[in-house]
Amino acid sequence: MTALHVRVSDFSKTYKTRRDEIEAIRAVDMDVRETEFVSILGPSGCGKSTLLMAVGGLLPMSGGRIEIAGQLVTGPRRDTGVVFQSPVLMPWRSILNNVLFPIECLGLSLGEYRRRAIELLEMTDLDKFRDDYPSELSGGMQQRVAICRALIHNPSLLLMDEPFSALDAMTRDAMNQELLRIWEEFKKTVLFVTHSIREAVYLSDRVFVMSPRPAVISRVVDIALPRPRDLSIEETPEFNAYVTELRQAIEG
Amino acid sequence: MENTKENGLANYLAVRAPQIAAPTIISTLLLVVWQVGVEVLNIPEAILPTPLRILETIVLRWELLLLHSWPTLSECLFGFALAVAVGMGLGILLALSQLFRVGVYPLIVAFQVVPKVALAPLFIVWFGLGMTSRVLLAFVIAFFPMVVNTYAGIQSTDPIMVRMARASSATRWTIFRKIEFPTALPYIFSGLKIGITFAVIGIIVAEFVTAQEGLGYLIVFSEGNVDTPMLMAALIVLSLIGVILYAAIGGLEKLIIRWDVGQKM
Ligand SMILES: Nc1ncnc2c1ncn2[C@@H]1O[C@H](COP(=O)(O)OP(=O)(O)O)[C@@H](O)[C@H]1O
Ligand SMILES: [Mg+2]
Repeated sequence: MTALHVRVSDFSKTYKTRRDEIEAIRAVDMDVRETEFVSILGPSGCGKSTLLMAVGGLLPMSGGRIEIAGQLVTGPRRDTGVVFQSPVLMPWRSILNNVLFPIECLGLSLGEYRRRAIELLEMTDLDKFRDDYPSELSGGMQQRVAICRALIHNPSLLLMDEPFSALDAMTRDAMNQELLRIWEEFKKTVLFVTHSIREAVYLSDRVFVMSPRPAVISRVVDIALPRPRDLSIEETPEFNAYVTELRQAIEG
Repeated sequence: MENTKENGLANYLAVRAPQIAAPTIISTLLLVVWQVGVEVLNIPEAILPTPLRILETIVLRWELLLLHSWPTLSECLFGFALAVAVGMGLGILLALSQLFRVGVYPLIVAFQVVPKVALAPLFIVWFGLGMTSRVLLAFVIAFFPMVVNTYAGIQSTDPIMVRMARASSATRWTIFRKIEFPTALPYIFSGLKIGITFAVIGIIVAEFVTAQEGLGYLIVFSEGNVDTPMLMAALIVLSLIGVILYAAIGGLEKLIIRWDVGQKM
């Protein structure tokens, strides 16, 4: 069994708006091991992004503690990469320079990482677009660029917030397959937020089910499907048994 | 977003030719009507000279026109540059500093309500009839669109983009330089275009009032002499300067902003 990578203990978050206070997350506990693929599954608005952003150090917490590799999270960390729901590419930068953006921010050598950026783009089949602007790429391609950008500085933890939810079903399947391929190759810890049950089952080692506001983790399901997984696994009874189990968990 | 790279020039001309031809034909037609109308109706030159007469004036008295164009152009650029530097600086400070937003923004808005042209006599009292007064008038007029557009441009930054940058360990300064400023650039360029137009207005009004030199001065001087052809010649040279300055900024914009600005992420 591999070492503990992310530990969330008694995390709570209350948003204070001008009018009132919204208790988004009441108390969440969560342990993620190194190289594990974990999904956070729940309906829209239940607080999945809130939890993920807090793990990324991008959100002030109201209570509890979050540790990554044994260290308390106090802000964004260089060993973490984030992929958002939209690609969030800078329209004024070429694809290659978008991928290299974190390297500039971290003050690392651009010359050294250029090679790696091109390799990542080759791996995601985007190499020939490296000098194009983002607006010339489709939504799925843009999201692949965003994944390359999140991986460029070789983080050990990848946080993904519904990265494929804006894509059509076929592109989404392809992206899921590609994500697993990348994950098998790089062996990163992935925290993946989704509201799609099938996506969660297909990708994950474990699925954390989140209840609606104020959120708690209502269920943790181990997905003991063999790897590497192929899309055909979605036709198997084992797969569908997990889907049913999770659906029941969500519906309470 | 069509890919015009491949069949470049031919395609470009096919699209552009009617766009260029139509206004050319219409303006030529108008000039002909003007020329013939003035001749047929026997309108006195002091009221409305013919286009050919104005052209003749420009050709024959170009030295005088040039003599007065130079101060207008240089003072205009000077006032504009000042407005760009101060306006952009203030716009950036407003966007980045809560203190400035609360303390200074209301003052700027209040100041905007003042019709700046009305400040010309005051500037003369303070700074005399020289160049300083004229440059300052151009400055105060061109300044506001620069502040507002810079500020609005930075404000238009997508918060998700800022979050992405923070996730990449960007500092506040990096976020400004690499996210907010490029986001604001299209806004800044429209500010520059409005600003240069305003600066020309400022200079001309100041030249009317100070009556020392420049095309504005030439215009009021010609009016005093009932030299309407010269007045209109000066007007045309002035318009030409305005168009060239505007086009220069437009060209710079095309050079710098090569990405698709309509793209919303
Ligand atoms: N900045 C915010 N201010 C106030 N309320 C917020 C803010 N962000 C999220 N919320 C609220 O917190 C709850 C959880 O939001 P979120 O984490 O985005 O959910 P999810 O990602 O699961 O859709 C929602 O009800 C949302 O309205
Ligand atoms: Mg969300």
